[in-house]
Amino acid sequence: MIDPVGFDQARDRIAATGFTPEIQSKIALVLSAAKNGNLMFQASLQWMPGLGLLQQFLISQSARELEAVTLLARTTQWASNPALALEANRIVAPLITAWGQIMMPPGPMFNPRAVYRGISLGHAQLARIRLLPVIPDNADPLDPYVVALSRIEQENGRMLQTQIRLLKNIEADIPLGERETLVEQDQELVDGVFNAFLAWLSAT
Amino acid sequence: MSSKDLFHRLILVHRNMSTAYFDHHQVNFELAGDLDRPVITFLNGLTQNANLWKSYAEYFVPRGYRVLAYDMIGQGRSSKPVIDIPLAAHADMLAALLDELKIDKTHLASISFGGIIALDFAIRYGQRLHSLVAMSTFAELTPQLEFLGTVMTQGLTDVGLPYMQSMLYPMNMSSAWIAANRERIPAMKRAGYIGNDAYAMQNLMESFTAFKPLTPDLHKIKVPTLIMNGEFDFFTPRECHELMRSKIANSRLLIIQHAYHAFTLEMPTVTMRQIEVFLGQVDTGAWKGDQSVWIANEDTAAPEQWLPIAGDWMRAVQIAAPVKAPEPVVAKSPANSAPRRPAKSPAATPAPLPVAAVRKTVTRKTKP
Repeated sequence: MIDPVGFDQARDRIAATGFTPEIQSKIALVLSAAKNGNLMFQASLQWMPGLGLLQQFLISQSARELEAVTLLARTTQWASNPALALEANRIVAPLITAWGQIMMPPGPMFNPRAVYRGISLGHAQLARIRLLPVIPDNADPLDPYVVALSRIEQENGRMLQTQIRLLKNIEADIPLGERETLVEQDQELVDGVFNAFLAWLSAT
Repeated sequence: MSSKDLFHRLILVHRNMSTAYFDHHQVNFELAGDLDRPVITFLNGLTQNANLWKSYAEYFVPRGYRVLAYDMIGQGRSSKPVIDIPLAAHADMLAALLDELKIDKTHLASISFGGIIALDFAIRYGQRLHSLVAMSTFAELTPQLEFLGTVMTQGLTDVGLPYMQSMLYPMNMSSAWIAANRERIPAMKRAGYIGNDAYAMQNLMESFTAFKPLTPDLHKIKVPTLIMNGEFDFFTPRECHELMRSKIANSRLLIIQHAYHAFTLEMPTVTMRQIEVFLGQVDTGAWKGDQSVWIANEDTAAPEQWLPIAGDWMRAVQIAAPVKAPEPVVAKSPANSAPRRPAKSPAATPAPLPVAAVRKTVTRKTKP
């Protein structure tokens, strides 16, 4: 569960200082790390045999994740403080570990459970990492960084449809309750990372 | 599996906020008021949460009731399953929650999406109810509702939750309310965005793909039923409520003046008063479920709260009986005094109709 107060505190902090290079860097580092995990996973599945129509969605999603990461990288005013990257790595470590487990040899192409987990973790990231509520009311809606965050969030909602359809329809041999539990575990993982991120964003 | 088996455990958390477990999902609920009082359970609309009934609890608890509000699965702080949650599971969950809280019977008040769940509950678990209040809801998808649902789902999936929120404000609220709250709306939308998850809402909406009309079973609802509909609700218009009124024998239809879809939020004072009147009638045995139609008084202090209706409540306009136009008076004029413009025809400016003539257009009769 993401604490709603975390959004308010982060927004208040940004409202007070504006989107400083430090704040932009924090957001870009964490968001990019999460998206790179999903991108890596999606890219590894693209040439799996027998995908059919699904191949188009996988290629499309990895391209859009790449687009999001690129958009962030070029609109962010980067801070030069290397400690930010270290702290961002600490916060996203649970996600990096989870993606690492999914990609572990022989890789998801040969491990159906890893495919399910990758889709589930991708769903949790796209659904739960939401930055629109930290944009203050006084932010310029035409600011390139604000536009980038808004576009990425909107695109997340569209991409999510692939995960929703797959989670509902694949691995039907796994009992529904068990599948829901797997998905909930990934949501809790992402929520934990995102709560820590919001706290970091709120810190002065 | 019985509803009792579905609850594995109950955990009480601080203050009034509590969490129960339905199978492996958690359910957030709030229960206020003393034990042994009659319980009123409130069911949320699609994008609502249990907190929105707080003012209702503050109203009804001092009047001798216990008030239960909770987030259905997919809402607020309850679990938001990703894969599936069948529509029927919500009524089962309510039965299980009542079991867990040791509540044998409850009054059930519901709005919109919650109204469907309440109707389903009243059909399948009617023995658990003292009464039912169904507000701004429907028993089956009319073609309009079906198209609206498709557009809402498409907006949610293709454009996003903020778009759907923006779409719902004018469908739920009046222009007057929007104008008065314009500055607060961004913060309210943000709170709604944080509290709701688009995928969970999508799940709730997609559960309608398996929705079977409840209309054939409405006759099974035997408890006193108050159906409430906003005068100007174009989201779930009169026909939806008229269908329920016509099929539930022990019902009355109450129209809330000047109200749109979400009148529980926009007009809480009027809504609470009407529910109070209804519950009072049920509790004292004065209730008369005769399928009649009434209008809620906007003056909540007035002695008469339900006003009789005149005219056809299914129409937005009332057609007066034609009035014979007065004979034109032809004046004798000199041959050379023709007007430059033709005179107005008397028929173009009809005299105002007397009230009595308007009343004569009643096409349906109520049974007050």
